[in-house]
Amino acid sequence: MSLFTRTNRELSVRIDEFFDTIEIGILIFKEGIKAYVNGDRNAFQNHLAKIDDLEGKADKLQRSIENDMIVHSILPQQRSEMVKLLWQLDEIIDTAKKSLNEFYIEMPHIPSSLSHEFISLSEVSGNSAEELIPAARAFFREPHLVREKLIKVYFFERETDKAAYQMRKKVFHEMNDLSLAEKAHIRYITHHIENISDSAQDAADLLASMAIRQML
Amino acid sequence: MIFLFLTSGLFLGWTLGANDASNVFGSAVGSRMVSFTRAAVTASVFVIIGAVVQGGGAADTLGRLGSVNAMGGAFTVALAAGLTVYFMTRAGLPVSTTQAIVGAIIGWNFFTDNAVDTRALTQIVTTWITGPVLGAVFAYLLYHLVKITRRRIKMHLLKYENWLRIGLMTVGAFGAYSLGANNIANVMGVFVPSIPLENADFGIFVLSGAQQLFFLGGIAIAAGILTYSKKVMQTVGTNLMELSSEAAFVVVLSQAVVLFIFSSASLSGFMVRIGLPPIPLVPVSSTQVVVGSILGIGLYKGVSNINLKVLGSIASGWITTPVAAGVLAFLMLFIVKNLFSIDVGHPVNPPVSAGEGVSMATIIRYSIPVLLVITAVYLVYLVLSEKKKTERLNKKYYE
Repeated sequence: MSLFTRTNRELSVRIDEFFDTIEIGILIFKEGIKAYVNGDRNAFQNHLAKIDDLEGKADKLQRSIENDMIVHSILPQQRSEMVKLLWQLDEIIDTAKKSLNEFYIEMPHIPSSLSHEFISLSEVSGNSAEELIPAARAFFREPHLVREKLIKVYFFERETDKAAYQMRKKVFHEMNDLSLAEKAHIRYITHHIENISDSAQDAADLLASMAIRQML
Repeated sequence: MIFLFLTSGLFLGWTLGANDASNVFGSAVGSRMVSFTRAAVTASVFVIIGAVVQGGGAADTLGRLGSVNAMGGAFTVALAAGLTVYFMTRAGLPVSTTQAIVGAIIGWNFFTDNAVDTRALTQIVTTWITGPVLGAVFAYLLYHLVKITRRRIKMHLLKYENWLRIGLMTVGAFGAYSLGANNIANVMGVFVPSIPLENADFGIFVLSGAQQLFFLGGIAIAAGILTYSKKVMQTVGTNLMELSSEAAFVVVLSQAVVLFIFSSASLSGFMVRIGLPPIPLVPVSSTQVVVGSILGIGLYKGVSNINLKVLGSIASGWITTPVAAGVLAFLMLFIVKNLFSIDVGHPVNPPVSAGEGVSMATIIRYSIPVLLVITAVYLVYLVLSEKKKTERLNKKYYE
């Protein structure tokens, strides 16, 4: 039984570490976008390298958590949902890394008049994912608090949609100096940033149902 | 020869182990919180301990109902109960070993012209009703307590699951002990008056004749658990309502407490000492107590989670099982006595006094409250099912 307790303790530490990795990854993503929009290439590349490491670490942690849960039959009734939740959280950092990579490879032209909108879009989209982490942590200790913590996730997701909509409208309706290719490219990039908050929303839906089942 | 006659009791014990161990560890094994091997070994050990240490009380009550005073009679009574359980299970009808053995003993009483002790019968029938009700009440309160505690202590889910696992093993052991203590009377109770064994002195402890029989019965139950309960354990718990590990813990605990209450002579003595009426020591159906406990949790969560048909089937089982077992026992006793010329029992001497004997008036007097209770249960069932139907329709409408 002592071996079992140790496994549980180690697993809870690893789950916390996984959440930390995702949370830091989101912060790095926001800083990375800021650096790119402000033209600080060195800082951007540093952030890209960091998020790459963090994404690899999150993958490893996710696999080891899943493995331990199956091998030691931990949380047998919630296991499939837990695995899905971990996968969806990992999806957030994956999307963040992919977004920064898109910037690195495609080097989209961000007009200075759009700098503020771009930064605030990445902020709200990142905030949506960031707010998911306290809710996920609460699921393990205070499942009754999960729903109220998730309200912010849904709020920021809606804000992201609004911000992206406004920006696309501005690009296509007001910025006639941009070519259609540039406009399409910006639209494509905003879509990538939006994906982060969409992934956060999917994870939030799952987390909410898991919390309800815990409370019943 | 004794062992030949005991085979029917051992068969009954084996079926009890195969089916009823799932009430103790089924939810834990079904949810993969506890491995089958660990559950089966724990249940087997504690069933035997419970049967030997605390099996006497419930067996005495069954003995009062009908003291089967010939080995042939005991064999036939146990076989009739076993066959009733077997055939009713195969036919998909609700059945309980406890109710089958009581019906078979009454069948023996009628066949051998022995009076039925109406006091013992009333005690037994009352506990059939109070058992599941108490199970529901305990489960409701315990589940509420578990939920409040969980909220207060803010323990990490993994640590909490770990404690639940330990809790499931502990209450499972307690449940197996209570099952052995309470239900051994069904298996070996009828043999106690007809097989008087001498005390066995093992130096540090002495086993009475009845305890030796209970030990054998306990081994039969353990054999049933180890050889045939795996499938039942892995499928139990989802028939009535899907159980979480927390709910499984509460169900097993409340069932163990109810079975313990109805088999503990010390607890009954304590009640008398503090001026309260004694608790009747009666074998109760563990399955029905489990159903009552699950119902208690269902009531806590809201009625719509429960399969209400099960309620009706329990109430119908209170009548159909003893009647079927009684009729079968009567017929089998007739065959065994007249075809094989085996002594199946004789009227008990000294003759039973008029007050204790069963007459038509007594039967009617006790049937009326029983029928009233069954009608009340049926009405509750109707009201709840109607409510559930309305909820379902409303849900469909709003969707």
